[in-house]
Amino acid sequence: MDIISGRELTVGYGEVPVLCDLTFGIPAGQITAIVGVSGSGKSTLLKTLAGLLPPLAGGFDFAGRAIDYRSESSLSFLYDKIGVLYQGGALLNGLDLYENVALPIRMRYPEMPEDMVRDMVHASLAQVELADSSEKFPAELSGGMVKRGGLARALVLDPDLVFCDEPSSGLDPITSHRLDDLLLHLRETFRMTLVVVTHELRSIERVADRVLLIDGGGLRFNGEYREMLASEDPFIQTFLLRKDRHDDA
Amino acid sequence: MTELPSIAPSADAISLPKRLRAPEVVAVLEDLHRRAGDGPLTLDFGAVEEFDSSTLAFLHYVRGRSARLTMINIREDLARAEKGFLHWPCPEEPEGAPPASRLARSFTTVAERYMRQGRSMGRFLTMLGDEVYHLGGYLRERKGVYPGEIWNQLFFMGYRSFPIVSLLLFLVGVTISITSANQLKIFGAQVYLADLIGYAMLRELVPLMVGVILAGKVGAAVTAELASMTVLEEVDALKTMGVVPERFLMVPRLVAITQAVPLLVALADVVGIMGGIVVARVMFQMTPTAFLTEMVTSVDWTDFAWGLVKTVVFGWAVVVGAGFKGFTVGRSAEEVGRATTESVVLSVTMIIIIDCIFAFVLY
Repeated sequence: MDIISGRELTVGYGEVPVLCDLTFGIPAGQITAIVGVSGSGKSTLLKTLAGLLPPLAGGFDFAGRAIDYRSESSLSFLYDKIGVLYQGGALLNGLDLYENVALPIRMRYPEMPEDMVRDMVHASLAQVELADSSEKFPAELSGGMVKRGGLARALVLDPDLVFCDEPSSGLDPITSHRLDDLLLHLRETFRMTLVVVTHELRSIERVADRVLLIDGGGLRFNGEYREMLASEDPFIQTFLLRKDRHDDA
Repeated sequence: MTELPSIAPSADAISLPKRLRAPEVVAVLEDLHRRAGDGPLTLDFGAVEEFDSSTLAFLHYVRGRSARLTMINIREDLARAEKGFLHWPCPEEPEGAPPASRLARSFTTVAERYMRQGRSMGRFLTMLGDEVYHLGGYLRERKGVYPGEIWNQLFFMGYRSFPIVSLLLFLVGVTISITSANQLKIFGAQVYLADLIGYAMLRELVPLMVGVILAGKVGAAVTAELASMTVLEEVDALKTMGVVPERFLMVPRLVAITQAVPLLVALADVVGIMGGIVVARVMFQMTPTAFLTEMVTSVDWTDFAWGLVKTVVFGWAVVVGAGFKGFTVGRSAEEVGRATTESVVLSVTMIIIIDCIFAFVLY
């Protein structure tokens, strides 16, 4: 069953479309990678699906319910069910790691007892191996730790779906590998749905069950990763070989 | 590498150097310009071994411009590089409507600027309305704001502003007193210095100066913080956590400024009048008691109250203006600096406009 269904979705900024007429499904309990070359509109699509950028045309359903950007309750429904790991972590600099992870709980359930908040935050931090750094501020953390902290915050309320925007960017191969392991662990253990925006082939190869390949303002491929490997589309072959398009021109 | 057939250079040939990169290309171009009046010329590339993109651009430039120049002995690797270089042609000018006249362009530019300003004003008023709604919502529900944030902001906006407000308002009191004292002396009206300082400080100078100090200190800090958060996607992160950034980030600042301003105004009134007392004592040997006795004959609590109301409104204008600039920043770090500058200009402009409106209403 698809947790997200795009219906002729057109996304962009102002009046300028970046991606047009996308119809696709993102199945629940799997890791879907949104891939494409730089500037193809991957992050723009993620922003729309995460409730941050209204679509220019069309729309999408989340868990069977159409998301209406003009309706506060519709967006609240979406925000209640998703977590987002941003490219730079996006931890609030004025709060330590503990408070950053506790923030979604405090804001959504202000009446929750502090002991429960503490347990939930520590469980989430332990999941990303940051339990010992809870008192540190974002400025005192490394790039990889900030991303893991961002993931802990995204996971703390057990969302149905987690969006990850370029989780591997700026990380060394070891840290990147560990982050991929963590995403796989979340899928295996909690049957969580993950949507990963990336152009890291190694990461796609390791974690992706399905791939949405974006090119030229539309969807080039939508299917399982192994089907993509078997595709004879020259662009896909070029993409998989990490060759520049101009080489084939 | 395939050897190309060598063409013997003629007597008027320019033999190009072994290294033909940007500095040498510039020198060759200067040489060619000097020989502009001469007859046909031949450029001999036979010796060229080191080249870069400026060499390739030079080849393309020469080929397209002068029929009197002949190029010989271009090596195969250089020719191949030139072919690759030309693979990415410069974008052509888009075809569209014929260029408008200068007057029409100027008119369009001015019109577009005003339309942009108009849209910006609309967004600002929308944000002002949103903030009133969120503040009302917070006061009703006591939710949506991070615990303790109001105290943090109160500490920053109030306590941290005390020293600069005290210093500047004391100096303003002294300056205004000295300037006025000299004029009053001419008419033998020294005693009225107390009335003048009391009235000017309570009604006008303290609200205006505190407003300007808040614009420079608080407004700039609020914009810089919010703009950085916007650029670093922290505002987006708040939204996807189900938090309303306009409430979470702005309400504590609005509550804090509303609480901090009365304290700052009271302090500023006291130190400003103290400046007047010091000058009156030094220049006219007027005792502080005599100064205050005279002052209270012309000012009363309503002057203090109106000054307070004005300053609270200025404080609100500063915080909402700063928040507006912070939230509407683009996505680059460079825009944070620009937004901060614009925020201070916007705040000071609003303060002066609001002050002018108050002047019409109150006097």
